[in-house]
Amino acid sequence: MRGQRPSTGREMEVDMGLIVKTMARVTIPFIGIFGAYIVMHGHLTPGGGFQGGSTLAGAGILFLVAFGLKDAEKKVNRKVYSALEGVGGLVFLGAALLGFSVAFFYNTLWHNGPFFNGKPGTLLSAGFLPIMNLAVGLKVFSGFVAVAVSIAAFRRWRG
Amino acid sequence: MKQEIAFLSLLFILGSLLLIANPHYGLKFAFNSTHEWLTYRYTDNYYITHGLKDVGGNNIVTDIVFDYRGYDTIGEATVLFTAIAGAVALLRPWRRDEK
Repeated sequence: MRGQRPSTGREMEVDMGLIVKTMARVTIPFIGIFGAYIVMHGHLTPGGGFQGGSTLAGAGILFLVAFGLKDAEKKVNRKVYSALEGVGGLVFLGAALLGFSVAFFYNTLWHNGPFFNGKPGTLLSAGFLPIMNLAVGLKVFSGFVAVAVSIAAFRRWRG
Repeated sequence: MKQEIAFLSLLFILGSLLLIANPHYGLKFAFNSTHEWLTYRYTDNYYITHGLKDVGGNNIVTDIVFDYRGYDTIGEATVLFTAIAGAVALLRPWRRDEK
């Protein structure tokens, strides 16, 4: 829209009222625990980094929608979250490069590594799979939260 | 008139689908015997039997996604990174808006 001043997002700074805020305050910790469980047990149970990261991002977006942009920006620094996404991707690539003496994506931690090589089915097993799940979970969570906060902060339309 | 033709053609399509997708003489979407399954889907069997030994995760899907098909996951992570970078870059205040 040319010639029209873009909206500065003042409308999003109000929260959604007492009922929604109370329900969000109750449910956000449970959603967070569930998402962390999905990410941590990615190599044992259905789920993984992407699914758990999306669940955690759902908790963050629920906080943003229920409490408004002003409260969310106190907790979420958009630039830090954008940087954390890159860190997650780099950790993923680094875990893939660990077994580069044999092949890219060779699971050397599982075959002859110092740690993460416990009995199959325990939490500290499966070599680089927990590291990769944590990296992808961090990447997806921080990326989605950064995009949601960016959309809320820099909206250009009115209403 | 148009509606009747639409309903009749829908019925015709569904009936022909029932005929085509009948497993006895039409298309087959699954294998009947274990032998046939092992002949055509030996890759699935390899992942199921070797996944725990090769990669170590109980979740075979995670084994495939992060080890056997790791390049695919790298591409997916790159796509996600590019999408989010583009969204954040487009959604910041533009230079025209700042004055």
